[in-house]
Amino acid sequence: MVNFIWGNVTTIFVWFIAIYMAVVIVFYSVIMLISFLQLRKDYKLDRVLAYEDYLDEFYTKPVSIIVPAYNEEAGIIQSVRSLLSINYPTFEIIVVNDGSTDGTLEKMLAQYQMKEIKKAVRIQVETKPIKHIYQSEVLPNLFLIDKENGGKADALNVGLNFSHFPYFCSLDGDSVLEQDAFLKVMKPIIDSNEEVIASGGSVRIANGCQIQNGHVLSVGLSDKPMVVMQIIEYLRAFLMGRIGLSRHNLLLIISGAFGVFSKSWVIAAGGYRVDTVGEDMELVVRIHRLLKETGQKKKIVYVPDPVCWTEVPEDIKFLRRQRRRWHRGLFESLWHHRKLTFNPKYGSIGLISFPYFWIVEFFGPIVEAAGYVFMILCLFLGGVYLEFSILLFLLSCLYGSIFSMAAVLLEEWSLTKYPKVSDIIKLFLYSLTETIWYRPLTVFWRCEGVWQMLKGDTSWGEMTRKGVSE
Amino acid sequence: MIDNELLLLAVLSVSIFSMLVLLLSYLTVRKSVDIRKRKSIESYKEKYNPLIFSMLSEGLLSRELTPETPLQFKAIEELLSRYAKVLEGKEEKERLFQLASMYLTDRYQKQLMSKKWSTRMNTLYHIEDFQMIQLAEEVRRLAGRRRISHEELLHALRILALAQHPDLFALLTGEFVQLSELDLRNILVHVNAKQFDQLLLHFHKSHTPLKKAILDVISIRKEVSYLTFVENIFASYQGEVRLRAIKALAEIGYVEDAAPYLQFLYSQKWEERMMAAKLMGSLREAPAIPRLIELLHDQSWWVRSQAGQAIAQFANGKEILQAVLDESSDPFAKDMAWEWLYKGV
Repeated sequence: MVNFIWGNVTTIFVWFIAIYMAVVIVFYSVIMLISFLQLRKDYKLDRVLAYEDYLDEFYTKPVSIIVPAYNEEAGIIQSVRSLLSINYPTFEIIVVNDGSTDGTLEKMLAQYQMKEIKKAVRIQVETKPIKHIYQSEVLPNLFLIDKENGGKADALNVGLNFSHFPYFCSLDGDSVLEQDAFLKVMKPIIDSNEEVIASGGSVRIANGCQIQNGHVLSVGLSDKPMVVMQIIEYLRAFLMGRIGLSRHNLLLIISGAFGVFSKSWVIAAGGYRVDTVGEDMELVVRIHRLLKETGQKKKIVYVPDPVCWTEVPEDIKFLRRQRRRWHRGLFESLWHHRKLTFNPKYGSIGLISFPYFWIVEFFGPIVEAAGYVFMILCLFLGGVYLEFSILLFLLSCLYGSIFSMAAVLLEEWSLTKYPKVSDIIKLFLYSLTETIWYRPLTVFWRCEGVWQMLKGDTSWGEMTRKGVSE
Repeated sequence: MIDNELLLLAVLSVSIFSMLVLLLSYLTVRKSVDIRKRKSIESYKEKYNPLIFSMLSEGLLSRELTPETPLQFKAIEELLSRYAKVLEGKEEKERLFQLASMYLTDRYQKQLMSKKWSTRMNTLYHIEDFQMIQLAEEVRRLAGRRRISHEELLHALRILALAQHPDLFALLTGEFVQLSELDLRNILVHVNAKQFDQLLLHFHKSHTPLKKAILDVISIRKEVSYLTFVENIFASYQGEVRLRAIKALAEIGYVEDAAPYLQFLYSQKWEERMMAAKLMGSLREAPAIPRLIELLHDQSWWVRSQAGQAIAQFANGKEILQAVLDESSDPFAKDMAWEWLYKGV
């Protein structure tokens, strides 16, 4: 009798898993195919020449770069230095010190000879009060705003209120920009005659690369397994996921690490939302929603070229926090705008993007966790399902690697690459092991994120930076 | 039944695994070939660099530089491309273009016919960079293709403009009217005075984006010879086109009589107030000063900023701004006055 019930349950569950896997694989395959075609078309295109025209001041639009900084004393000077040397005709840099408790403010004041100025700031988005505004005496396009602590989103909103130019870029305090980052992301905006209102680019992992004075000198693969796995993850997410989604204006995420937005649209949408941990995604969703509700045909795009290098956690403790936070951020954005799900009024965003993010991104880890539990149960209970579960496991190992290797291939076709043959083999071997250790870990952390949320925990989860630059 | 499913899964696993192995071998082979190619290009570059450098600086031709393989051509292309970015002297540039046409014309002729979009694009970039106008006919043929991407068309037209190709006028006013204002501007900046005059004659019959692009190009060229034309446009048009005309006048920095423009400082539209302020600043038209001070209090940041800049252009501009800074009670006006007083300190 027990066996009979167990048999039925397992049959149903196996079918559920099989169908779910099929849906996910179909989703991924379609997205991969789209990215594949796109990158194949651009293959071997000389990108430097393609961006040259945009260096002329006459064609480009000025950009305000907003750098929110909370306890970033280790990396802030380096980031500002890397920003000052970017290749773009007109820009201003606004560092927003979000009530840091370390020496961030003092370091900035001393390094760039900041002098207090009196300026009227137009309040377009409500924020925590500003304490002081400084301008550099040596570099008139560098500003520093000192404000009360209010979180990253609040700091971005302050920068938004203060900024002078029609476009702004949000940036993490510790990322290192490619020299041509702005040319790359502004190109679609300028080319489309402002039909594109936001654009982002690929974020790459700085760990393992040689970086000096805010410039990437040489690309390398880190020795730490945790970092290599994250590299594979990033390649997959950026080169497959986002190119595919962007092609049909389905993109719901522009990485918080680097993205350019049209200021007027962000203000029309109400600025960054302060009570979520995923303010970058939430903003993009809200802009999409606004566009659909006002019937505008504007676009949000993604540029496959790498634009910025960021440090990822090497320590399990911080990675775990990051993943829990991301998953919660994802849920908050989806839940807050749940009305859009399967809502034909919101077109492809409601019918494709939202279901995709709910089913694959949000529920994925929960189903996967159930799958892992099931496999372990099968091992104990044995029976005919033992072989089945082993095969299923093998299959999931392999199909995950297929997507990972396809992403490596796409990376090879686009511009920045890992320089050695051994790097590729290393990436391949690591990707084979993903299902055995890394995947279960991230799945578990993300489920933890869901659990935390159900409990109503709202802490942020900080990461200590050691600074990527030498 | 279970056996069947097991079999299916096993087959699936094996096939995926073989796909993976294929993919991996493709990637590794590709990578090592790539690395080897890059190495040999670099060594060719090292070998050719002194030759090309002396050819560019002394103008002599060298018999040692005889590229045959694609990699050797690639090395030359990369070297010339690098020099094209850094060379400043007119004579050296001429020599560079000459070298490029000597070594690369045949190759580019073929590449323009390539089936690969990226190859054609790269070729167009290089043709423009090296100003290889002898390839204009081939480019013209490419632009005439029925299935052509927007990027290719744009670059092809730019090259035709650079070559002053006789068909360009007909193409811009006829076949390709769908081009955006920005695209047109990118093309028109390369056109010489003679072709440009042809466009001016056609102005009234042009579509709006072309009109705006023409006025913008005049703004870039800033030549007084276009003054009468722009003033006429200003008098006979409304809206966006008139706005561009005011902008062009501000860039030229001269008008016959400033009176008709003063009223725009009071326009309902902020764009017109802004442009009029810009014009007054570049004309240094003293009667406009009181109104410019008022515009420092304007609702729009753009108008305030432009008014501040305009005032700063007058001889006594600094005193006026200082007075606003000291006396005004409007924080925005003070702010703008401050900004233009201390701009670029």
